[in-house]
Order: sequence, then structure tokens, then C-alpha cells
Amino acid sequence: MEQRMIIQAQNLSKTFRVKEKRKGLRGSLRSIVKPSYKEIKAVEDISFHIAEGEIIAFIGPNGAGKSTTIKMLTGILYPSGGEAMVDDINPCKKRKQLAYKIGTVFGQKEQLWTHLTPYDNFKFFGAVYDIAEKEVEARIEELKSTFELSEFINTPVRNLSLGQRIRCEIVASLIHKPKILFLDEPTIGLDPVVKENIRTLIKKMNKDYGMTVFLTSHDVGDIEKLCKRIIIVNHGKIVLDDSMEKVKYHYLDKKIIEIKMKEEMALPRIEGVTVLKSKGVNLKIEVDTKIISIQEVLKWLDTDNLMDITISNVPLESIITQIYKERS
Amino acid sequence: MLLILKVTFNWKWRYGQNRGNMRKYLFIYKTTLMETLQYLINIFLGFISFFLIIFVFLNLWQYIYSDSSNLIDGYSMSQMVWYVILTEIMWFGNRNAMLTNQISNDIKSGSIAYGLNKPYNYLYYTIAKHFGDVTIKLFLYLFVGIIMGLIFAGRLPNFQFRNLPFIAITFLLGLFVNALIRIAISISSFWIEDAKPIHWMYDKLILVIGTLFPVEMFPIWLQPFIKCSPIFVITYGPAKLIIDFSMEMFLSVVFAQVIYIVIVVSILTVLYQKGVKRLNVNGG
Amino acid sequence: MLTVAKKELKLVGLSVKYNLMKEMINRTSFLMNVIFMILNNASFIIQWLILFQLKKDIGGYEMNDVLTLWALTASTFGISHIFFFGAYHLPNLIMNGKLDAFLVQPKNTLLSICSSKSSTSAIGDLIYGYLVIIIFDFSIQRLLLFTYFTVLGGITLTAFSVIVGSSSFLFVRGDILADNLNGAMINFSTYPEGIFKGTVRLLLYTIIPVGIVNYLPILVLREFKAIYLVAVTVFAICLTALAFWVFQKGLKRYSSSNLMSARV
Repeated sequence: MEQRMIIQAQNLSKTFRVKEKRKGLRGSLRSIVKPSYKEIKAVEDISFHIAEGEIIAFIGPNGAGKSTTIKMLTGILYPSGGEAMVDDINPCKKRKQLAYKIGTVFGQKEQLWTHLTPYDNFKFFGAVYDIAEKEVEARIEELKSTFELSEFINTPVRNLSLGQRIRCEIVASLIHKPKILFLDEPTIGLDPVVKENIRTLIKKMNKDYGMTVFLTSHDVGDIEKLCKRIIIVNHGKIVLDDSMEKVKYHYLDKKIIEIKMKEEMALPRIEGVTVLKSKGVNLKIEVDTKIISIQEVLKWLDTDNLMDITISNVPLESIITQIYKERS
Repeated sequence: MLLILKVTFNWKWRYGQNRGNMRKYLFIYKTTLMETLQYLINIFLGFISFFLIIFVFLNLWQYIYSDSSNLIDGYSMSQMVWYVILTEIMWFGNRNAMLTNQISNDIKSGSIAYGLNKPYNYLYYTIAKHFGDVTIKLFLYLFVGIIMGLIFAGRLPNFQFRNLPFIAITFLLGLFVNALIRIAISISSFWIEDAKPIHWMYDKLILVIGTLFPVEMFPIWLQPFIKCSPIFVITYGPAKLIIDFSMEMFLSVVFAQVIYIVIVVSILTVLYQKGVKRLNVNGG
Repeated sequence: MLTVAKKELKLVGLSVKYNLMKEMINRTSFLMNVIFMILNNASFIIQWLILFQLKKDIGGYEMNDVLTLWALTASTFGISHIFFFGAYHLPNLIMNGKLDAFLVQPKNTLLSICSSKSSTSAIGDLIYGYLVIIIFDFSIQRLLLFTYFTVLGGITLTAFSVIVGSSSFLFVRGDILADNLNGAMINFSTYPEGIFKGTVRLLLYTIIPVGIVNYLPILVLREFKAIYLVAVTVFAICLTALAFWVFQKGLKRYSSSNLMSARV
């Protein structure tokens, strides 16, 4: 079956002008008389398509243009070039209409009323999205059990822990059964257990309701656990758009070997092997299997001298860091 | 171990600090001042309010003094208009949201605790920052105020330039006392939920009684009370000296100002120390 | 159309209700704010007592008129700050990129913003206005008229605030301009019309519409004149329409502009 493209971005661009500050007292005075501006291309010529039901990771370092892109897709900002279509709606032309179809969670900005209970909040958002009273109740009941909110659904939001709060934020954005959920760094500042919990829930929403999820994150864990496809942006441009598997596969030709030896031993220089860390009896090396096989490397090691050995793939984190470096 | 570390740290800190003491606060002052230059436009826009307020009072007094040769309670119209302009400069030029809101917010949010482990005195820091904030505003208000006064009320008949140094002293001390009282009110946020209502009352006390008319216009039985209130040292005293200077008056104003400073600073120190202790006990 | 309006108004009601609920969580603070604001307003009576000692009529007003003026100023301010306090935070929302949260909602952005905040002390202002009207020179007709002007004035003040606040869409420190102009409204509206002359009075019926929010209603409250009542009503409607239009223009600029203040 031909999959429907629910988000389409065609050559999206956004340029900002920023006032530049000058140093010192004289500089300050000069800036008043004649401010100077610097152009920043926050997003430059980005194109991608996302199919209905996909979970996509949109990642990049700070200031890479992630949030700007989300804002253009949700109709908050108009692109300075190119066009976006979200569920066949042009966000900057029919923002309100689009609002019924999307949910947004901005990790660092709260949309909940902190002095109200989650329950009251959900009722409020029910009214925002014109959902009938009965329907809201049913929806809250449903989400309450999925997101396990019953314990604190009547506690004011400001008294909740960060993890509980973000769960409520997500529920609030799901009240109107959106087709697409935009998550801007949803797990920022959360502890590992809560992170895991949030991920499971997002995955469940995607599976049970076929909801498309557009996720930006710094957290590699989020991406690894949730997404099948990854788009990496840097300096406003897409540097990589590929399936998670391919990304990993592409970098799978590199292995990490960690060795603990009985006695200190120097490893000779071998082509295709990079020493990452060498401290006393501990050694950590990276092996490029295109140049030299693991077997070959192991031969170089004196097996009698070995106490412990671990061979692992390069973590996604390093892969991404490397991609940033390579492609920009 | 930790205790020893703490003690040596404190010791070092104190001795290390003393040297650069004033320099530190001067630097804070200078930096804040430079920051306000960034927003010079704000200050200019702030004129709108200042100008309008003076303008309204000018109209009011012109209406009341239907004949400009009249004297009301010993004040000519020109003196009256100058009085209002000067008190408004001292009052509005010295306004700063930092003193009224920021301190309270810092206390309420607990972020005052971050300042505690920094090697500066919170009180000095606040004052340095406050005056950095208002310096340019004050000068500009003074400039505009004087021009408005010259246009609308003419030259002050009894003003002499040789009195200016004395006037400047009381003027500055008045600003200082005002800032201190503001801080003291804000510091009360350690105990009360919302210090805003107290600020309003203080605002109104000075504004209604202290800027619009000189003390002489109040009923005689009320005048001694007003002369003991902050109004005397903050607005009435300095303004009166400009309008009608006398050495006797100068000495009594400065004397009152010094007494006010001593009292408010003592109260502030006690309040601050108790408040911080309370913060430590409650953990912010 | 009508159902849309109904839904919008329901949301405004809900916002205000929630806001007031929040303020009442801390009862002492709530009561302090309300009571002190009443006292605060009342303190100006001292000023006028002294002024009226110097002269019997000031700008065509006697003590009674000044009291009505203050009552109306306080109550219109109260209505505006209880129901539409968000309008006064517009520059702040614009500058800090906080409009985004409202933009992803399918409701009228301006209405949502206006009703998103509420000021507690404004309740004191509203109460003060009614106290003065009830205590001094009470009649049912006066009370009804006063209520009508209070609501209209509250809406007009809000519309004014939205228009001046929208200047933040144009330049960075629009907040200061807005604050100053809102302050000017209040400042002028606490003094008798008659002390101002010529051009200034013209300004007070146009750019800074104190004349329409305060002076005309005072005349009507003194002696009923239908024409003034109509003028006040028409002006309120026009200014509100203008506010929506200006905001809409600004919003377009916000979304399409290339000026980034703090909204990466």
C-alpha cells in the first residue's frame, strides 16, 4: 500500500536578523546610534517527507534549527522560503484548522496551568478544542489509565515531580486525539527511569492510535529506543536523513575493544586501530574493520596477559557526534 | 575537616575581599550603568509618563492659582510648580522595579540563596545595582525637569548657585534613604507572602502627601507628624532647599537624613540576617 | 458564527474562573491585596480634600464629581485587569516568544491571551468603584449607568492596551511605550477634565481616550444625555475592532518577520 505522506517540507528556509552588540561603553553608545545586524540562516533549504504513523527523530546540536523547523510546521512561524504541508494543510495559511490535528509538547515551556490540578487542566484543554463534556471525561479516563495518572490527577501541577508533570503535558496535548504529535525535547531533565517510561508511552500512542510522532531530542536514548528514522540537522541544513538501521550499519564497521590486562603492555602501531584510552593495565581501542579484522587485532594481543575483554559497537552518541563533524 | 576548610575559606575570603571591596561594587555599578545605556531608548520612552505627570500637575496648579501673583500658604505659583517638578524627579527618577519586585521574587523563589555563597554583601550589591540602573534616568529627568520648569514656571527667584553643593548632598542622601526603605520593605518578603501592598502604601504616603504639596498646606496639627516621616528627608527637605535655601534648614535635613540612614540600615541588617537564617532553616 | 462566539466566551469565562481560583488559594495574600488596593485608592481622597480647601471648584468639578471620576477610573481599570489582564502582558509575551503556546491552540489568539491572566488587586479597584457609588449619592439609575460604563470602559481600556502593546511587534522595547501610554490613561483619568485646555483636550478624546472612558460618562451620570451614551458605546465598539485588526497585523508580522529577539 502506498503510504500517505503526512508531513511534507519542501525547501523550507528561515532567515533571522540579529542585532549585534559591541564591546565596552563606547561600543554600547555606538550601537544605539547605528545598530548592526547579522543574518542567521536558522533553517536553510530543508526538504523531507514523513509518512503517516512514523516516529521520526529530528536531531542536531543546539541552534541547529530544530525548533525553528517545528515552529514552521505548526504554523507559529512562516517560512522565508519553501513550503510545508501538514496533513494537507498549509500551516501558515490555516493555523487554527491545523491546531485541531496536532498536539505539541515543548519540553522547556509549560502549557499547563501550574496552580490547577491535571484534571482541571485537561478539562480546560477540552474546552480549547471544543470537545463535548462527556467526551472529555471519557478521554481523560482513558488517558489516565494509560499514563497512570490516577495517583495525582487531583494534585495541583506545581506540586508534581518533573516526570509527573511532563506526563501531564503530553496527556494535555493528546486530549483532542491529534494525528501528529510534535515533541520538542520531551525528556529533558528527567531521570533515566522516567525517561524510559515516557518513551514506552510515546511508543504505545504510536502503535495503538497510529499517531505520527515528530521528535526532537538531544538524548540519544530517546532516538535509539523510539525511532526507526532519523534526520540530522546542523547549521540549518539536513546532513543525514536515513533509517536508524542504516545509520548504525554504516558505522558498524567500527568496533570498540576494551581490554584489561594482567601486566602493562604497549600495543604496537597498527593500521586501522586507534587507541582511545590507555591507562596502566586498561586499554580502549577502536578498530576499523574495513582495514583490519577483529581477528587480526586479537592476534596482536597476548592472550595470556588478558584478564577481561569486551567488544562492542560504537555507541550512537559517538556516531552522531561524528556525523556532525564530518558533514558540516 | 570541612569546618576547617570553611573557616580558612571564610578568613581568606574576608581578607581577600577587603582590598577590592569598593572596586567590586563600583564595577557592579558601572556594568549596570552600561547595561542601561543599551536601553537608552527605554529611558527616553519613560519620559512620556514623567512629562505627562508634570504636565497634569502644571495644569492643576495653573487652574488653582487663577491669578499667578497669588500666594498660597506662602508659595508663589512658580515655587509651587518647581516644588512639584523637583519632588517628582526625586520620586520617579529613583523608581526601580528591582527594588520593589526583584528582591521579593529572589526571596520567594529562593534564588537569593545563590547570592549567599558569592563573596559580596547583598545589601551593597543591591544598592550598587540600583544606582547603576537609575543614574542615567535621574540625570535625564533632571535635565528635562529643569527645562520644563524654566519654560512653565520661569527662574526660581531665590535660587543661588553657591548653594548647589549643599543641595546636591541632601538630594543624594534623599535618594539613598528612599532606596534603603524600599529594600527594607522588600526584605520583609522573608516573612510575609506578598510585600506589594506595603510598597503601595509607602508609594501613596510619599506620592499623595510628599510630592504634590509642600508640608505647609496640611492642617497645622498634622505638620509635625509629616516632618518626622520619610517625606521630610526624601522629598520635602531637598526640594524645599532648592526653592528656599537656608543653612539652618540644610543642617536639619542632613541631620534627619543621617538618622534615617542609621536606623534603616540597622533594621535592614537585622532583618536580612534573620531572614537568611530562616531561609537556611527552611531550606528555601 | 454565534456558536463560535459562544465557545470563545466560554473559554474566557473558564480562564478567568481558573485564575481567580488560583489567587484565592492563599487567602491572606488575596485579602491583603484587595483591601490594600481599596485603601490605596481611598488615600487620594486626602489629596482632593486639601485641593478643594484651596479652591471650591477645580476644572468644573466638585468633590462629588471627583469621587465619581475616581470610582469610574477604578472600576474600569478593575474590569480590564480582572478579565483581560493578559492584554497588559502582550509585549512581554511577544518579546519572549511566549505567543507560541497560544498559536498552537485553535482559538482566537487575542482573546486567549487577554483572558490568560488576572490581577487580584484589581478586584479591590472594582469594589472601590462600587463602594464610592453606593456610599455617595446613590440611586438605582446611577448604579445601572455606572455598571454600563464600567463594562464598556473596561473593554475600551483593554482594546487601548492591546493596540499600544502591539507596538512590540514593531520594535523591541514596545513594552515601555505601552506601559507609559497605559499609565497616561490612568494619570489623566484621575483629574478633572476642565483643567486641560485646547489641544490637550482634543487628545483626550482621541489618542488617549480618557474623555470617552471617563469624562463623558461623568456628564451622563450627572445628568442623563443619550447622545453621550451612544458616543461612548460606538467608540468602544470601534476601538475594539481596531484592536483586533492591529493585533492580527502584528501577528502576521511576528510569524513572517525575520527579526529574532529571543525566539530561537
